Amino acid sequence: MKFSYFHLMPWTDVTEAGQDWPVPNFQFDPKKGTELYRTYIDSMAYAEECGFDWVGCNEHHFSPYGLMSNPNLIAASLIQKTKRIKIAVLGCLVPLLNPIRVAEEFAMLDVISGGRLIAGFMRGIPHEYVAYNVPPSESFGRMLEASELIRKAWSQPQPFGWEGKYYQFRAISIWPRPVQQPGPRVLMSGSTPESARFAAQNHAKLGIVRLTDLESVRDCIKVYKEAAEEAGWMPEPDDILIGQYTSIAETEAEAKKNLEGGIDYFLNVLNGGIRTAAQLVLQKTRYYTKPTAIERTAQRVAVLKGMSIEERVDKGLVLCGTPDQVVKQIKNLHRELGMGVINVVMKVGNVPNDAIHRGMTLFKNHVVEHVRDL
Amino acid sequence: MEFEEREVRLPRGKLRYHQGGRGAPLLYFHSAGGFRASRALKKLMETRTVYMPIVPGFDGTEALDGIKSCADLAELFAAFADSVIKDACDVMGHSFGGRIAIWFAARYPEKVRLLVLEAPSGFRPAGSPPPRRDQAAMFAHPENLANEKSAEATAQNRKMAERYHQASDMDEELVGQLGKIKAVTLILHGTRDGMIPEASANFIKSRIPISHLVFVYDAAHAIEVDQPELFASLTGDFLRRGQGFLVNPGSDKMEAVPA
Repeated sequence: MKFSYFHLMPWTDVTEAGQDWPVPNFQFDPKKGTELYRTYIDSMAYAEECGFDWVGCNEHHFSPYGLMSNPNLIAASLIQKTKRIKIAVLGCLVPLLNPIRVAEEFAMLDVISGGRLIAGFMRGIPHEYVAYNVPPSESFGRMLEASELIRKAWSQPQPFGWEGKYYQFRAISIWPRPVQQPGPRVLMSGSTPESARFAAQNHAKLGIVRLTDLESVRDCIKVYKEAAEEAGWMPEPDDILIGQYTSIAETEAEAKKNLEGGIDYFLNVLNGGIRTAAQLVLQKTRYYTKPTAIERTAQRVAVLKGMSIEERVDKGLVLCGTPDQVVKQIKNLHRELGMGVINVVMKVGNVPNDAIHRGMTLFKNHVVEHVRDL
Repeated sequence: MEFEEREVRLPRGKLRYHQGGRGAPLLYFHSAGGFRASRALKKLMETRTVYMPIVPGFDGTEALDGIKSCADLAELFAAFADSVIKDACDVMGHSFGGRIAIWFAARYPEKVRLLVLEAPSGFRPAGSPPPRRDQAAMFAHPENLANEKSAEATAQNRKMAERYHQASDMDEELVGQLGKIKAVTLILHGTRDGMIPEASANFIKSRIPISHLVFVYDAAHAIEVDQPELFASLTGDFLRRGQGFLVNPGSDKMEAVPA
């Protein structure tokens, strides 16, 4: 089993939790921010020492939910502070960006790191489309086209142009080319059967990080494997990444308390403005082409909001407890899903950074050795 | 804009051709499927006079004595250009027509202003996947097809095309022509082309001295059919501005002088 240490880099000093979108940035204190970035980057670099295999970051805009408007900047920092760990950018929101810029930045990261990049192509959550003024109804089409274009930019031996529906470039020849050829391994989100199928068709790793129950995750994995076979390839366990909020402490009570507080802050403070924008997008645009997808999203939020930590643990949605308990939970999860990578999120909401550091050390000393061979 | 069918008498015999549109001349060599008045071509005809000679033996025409190869066809069409167009012009060819266009541009560089090769056949580097024969290999959007000729007529045309070229993976004689092309060349390749491999487009690009390769997204082998608007705007821009098409002109209306 491999482990990814993933960080959202949230702002944890929100003074006025509201529902406004975008979230007013007067609440961000740049001086504290400098210190916070340092703490977060150090924590992510510490993941290598703790036996994690990947360290992950991602992209969000216009809110305290995450302070990585460009995760590639964080990835560049992490490359300098680490030696062997995979740098997982999970990912860039390709429908919102210039795909050639994405191809170039990913190629740079791959070369600087000596081929350690895992390149996440993400569609993004609805509010990002408001932030970057991209029509949400174009998100899937842009995702399709940009994904193909980025890969072409990585692998083409000759300069080429691109005439597409959303993107037109007359001459492309990126410098540098990536170390990994025909390109860095790509990961795509697959939390719905449709997106899981899309990931398989694109020969991408599968990432499922928003879990409400394991049954639907199993369904997505099944769809992913079947679609991969149809496309002529067979995924390895390492190609499937499952997200888990994780809290490890000396005592079960402390682990639960930390995670409970963090989830409460995450759902009720960090998600406030985002939810407002997301509702606008889902109600006023064709971000989802199927009405069932909108219902599914609403249900997921409702289900998670009312769920206790105990229920989440029982359902396999989080890892929480002492090292021994977490080892058992990981083994159970592996038995249920057969994935090869767990995306460990310890910084959930405002979980204290020192508690996270202790949790990582416990992971290093008492967890990873017992689950490495799964 | 519609095509009008005409006939011209050349030293080697009578040649039928289609002509339509207005503006600077564009000599177009059709594919192994024969004449097709695609929506893309009709769009181009708003600013170009398109001349499309029918390859002898295609679309019910008679084969001509002594015209046996693509090189022979290039010679025949050079006579056609001298007789009908009379001046250097832009040249475009699709698939089998791309082969003819390569021969034409290599043999008669003085007759070619700018060259557009739309998925030309004849180049299949070792290791490339074999051509698929299903409809999706040819058309990503078959719903765009209109007024197609019968399957029998198309099959006859394809059979005729094989008489003009050795159906080998790599036409070495043709490869030898690429370096002789003087015209600035635009090479088009559909991202879903199931007949011509992507490696072929790169191979051609690497050998034509001044050339630009553009992938047309969500198009199979028949780019004109699958993406008529993209095709017409891209080729129209190239034919208007030559290498200047690399630069986004924005609202600047200054015309670039083709190299």
